[in-house]
Amino acid sequence: MSQVFSRDGVRRLRTPWILLAASIAAAVVLIGGTQVYLQKEQRDARGSEGRLQQARTRVDNIRKERDNLEESAAIYRSLLARGLMQPERRLDVVELMNALRTQHRIFSVDYEMSPQRALTLAGGNAFPSVDILASRVTLRLRALHEGDVLGFIQAVGQSGQGFHPVDRCLMKRIDSAAASEALQPRVEAECGLEWITMKDKRGA
Amino acid sequence: MATHHLYLTNSVLVSLLARRGSITRREFAVDDAGVGEFEAYLRTVARIPARLHVDLSEEDFRADMIPHVGRGDREVIIGRKLGQIYRNAPFRHAIVQGRESEGRRDDRVLYAAITSAEVLKPWLDAIERVEAPLEGMHSAPLLGARLLEALGINHPHTLLVHFSPGEALRQTYFRGTELRLTRLTHIDLNEGQTPGALLAEETTRTWQYLDNLRSFGADDRLEVVILAHPRDHPAIGPSLEGFTQLGYHLLDTDQVSGKIGLKPPARGPGAEELLVHLLDRKPPENHYATPEMRRFATLRSARNAIVTGAIGMLVVGIVGGVLTLARIMTTSERDQQTEREVMDLNRQYDQVRRSMPTYDVAGAAMRDAVGFYGGFIQGFPSMAQFAIPLSAALEAHPAVRLNQLAWQATDDAKAMPALTPQPSRVPPPAKAFARGAEAAVRSPAGEDLSSQPFASGRYEVALVEALVTSPAHDFRGAIAEVEKLAEDIGRIKGYRADVVESPLDLRSSLQLQGRNADREPAQMDARFLLRVVRTRGTT
Repeated sequence: MSQVFSRDGVRRLRTPWILLAASIAAAVVLIGGTQVYLQKEQRDARGSEGRLQQARTRVDNIRKERDNLEESAAIYRSLLARGLMQPERRLDVVELMNALRTQHRIFSVDYEMSPQRALTLAGGNAFPSVDILASRVTLRLRALHEGDVLGFIQAVGQSGQGFHPVDRCLMKRIDSAAASEALQPRVEAECGLEWITMKDKRGA
Repeated sequence: MATHHLYLTNSVLVSLLARRGSITRREFAVDDAGVGEFEAYLRTVARIPARLHVDLSEEDFRADMIPHVGRGDREVIIGRKLGQIYRNAPFRHAIVQGRESEGRRDDRVLYAAITSAEVLKPWLDAIERVEAPLEGMHSAPLLGARLLEALGINHPHTLLVHFSPGEALRQTYFRGTELRLTRLTHIDLNEGQTPGALLAEETTRTWQYLDNLRSFGADDRLEVVILAHPRDHPAIGPSLEGFTQLGYHLLDTDQVSGKIGLKPPARGPGAEELLVHLLDRKPPENHYATPEMRRFATLRSARNAIVTGAIGMLVVGIVGGVLTLARIMTTSERDQQTEREVMDLNRQYDQVRRSMPTYDVAGAAMRDAVGFYGGFIQGFPSMAQFAIPLSAALEAHPAVRLNQLAWQATDDAKAMPALTPQPSRVPPPAKAFARGAEAAVRSPAGEDLSSQPFASGRYEVALVEALVTSPAHDFRGAIAEVEKLAEDIGRIKGYRADVVESPLDLRSSLQLQGRNADREPAQMDARFLLRVVRTRGTT
């Protein structure tokens, strides 16, 4: 082995050594160069994958938005038909109470409507494009049967004009001694509801 | 791969060049002209590695025994012995052939040397001048053991006899597989003497010599194995008559060639082609060549290794590059496909955006209005829907009569509706109460509901105040009836009922009052309070 690395050995093996060095260099350049290029391609591919994902998300979102918009439009048209975006019409309340009292055989209906206010929503929910307004309505009913009371309240809640969700109600029997005579009210109820309307802020 | 064997005897040097399945044989006389011809010839095949085999009368062998020691020490001992025995011989070698079975169990060593280096000098000078790669210089007699091994000959005492180039006869005596003695005799036939007679005479003489050295036991027999060309057999065979202590085995060199795989079979009368063929199958260790003599072979091996390494590196680089290139192309193709998909999705996006409906009212207001409707109004509960299943449960308990129901839609699962307790007209004869805490519920009076946030009605909470009619003092039955009612309400999907106030509160922390008298009503109406909760989305 010492002959290989002697002066004469090195001289005689100069060409093979140069060939080996050149081969190593070529191998390093070939592998290293292609690896670098591969990494660049992979980076580009990852970037493309990211853009593809974003494009998919964008298309999905706009499709959902379109679907939501179409669905919302249908709902919104029904809301408009119920007069939700119109100013509060208190005369409708008076007429509604009168009509439902007769319809559900209620002995008496007393109601109070508070001044209209901006409705505070539970959970801190807010809708920045519309003003949600409500008037608190308190009803006091006297009826022969609990079913009449429930029917009346149900009818108020489902009234075709505006939205009036009944959110609390206390229903109790009237003392039997006082209710012994025929056709006397046996049930009385006190219920609360919100008379809700909306206003587009842009139109304000 | 080509191999070049040089077989040197005292009168001739035989060149055997094996290349592409054929052997080229050239002979050069041992004189100045022969050396000159050899050098000229060697220049034409100087790139082929060569091995020099010496079959000379100047080669001396001596058997010896040395203590069995470690490898390093053994080499020192052998080196010293060689120096002592062959002080002036530059070409010397030692082989450890075996070990004694008795006594100190010494190692049996055979020393070999070429006692006159002058015989070799012209040839070695020619090789040096040509710079031919000399891989080794080997002793031909020492290779005889390989021939016996290849032929499967394993007698206790064997005398291998073969002809050498230049009219010589080589006799090598093996005890088992160990070389003990070798003789080279010039063939000089007397008038009328046949080769067979000469062989018989020489081998008998060798046997007598060995016998004088007490090499044999009383029953031992020397097996003489003679290698000869088939055409010489008629002149040899008839003269070989063995006796009790000596037996002859005449081997056909054609058959031996076939047995060891030499093609074509050996042509000459000598055994040199057979011996060198065995070396090609398994190259032996170098016997006599110094590192300096072998330097061109060493450099050639190094050159081959370096070039092989270079080619290997280049192949690795190319293969690695090609594999990576394939991955690059795959990645690039996938990338282009991804880009096409992105462009396609962008087109879809534009199409969907263009097809989006437009409305008179701003989209934000519409979204908010619909959002409020969906979140708060659409699923808002109604008391009637709450009361219907509750009413069905109460019908199954005729002893229970509803007094009042306070219902509330809320987002607070712990909410408690306001209710003013109504006392029973036929109160029970016993009741429990806490000092200063008569009622467990709040009165509805005075609540300002307009300031409270509007809930989406996720929960419906109701307080049910009712009376249970039971025989006087049957509190156990009344309590059981109320608990059964709460259980029945709890079975309705989405409902949960808890007894807030029992017909008779039995907690030890409360004060209990009772009354027993002769004239008492047969029945009592015990008041109780249930809290019923329904959760939206579970019904």
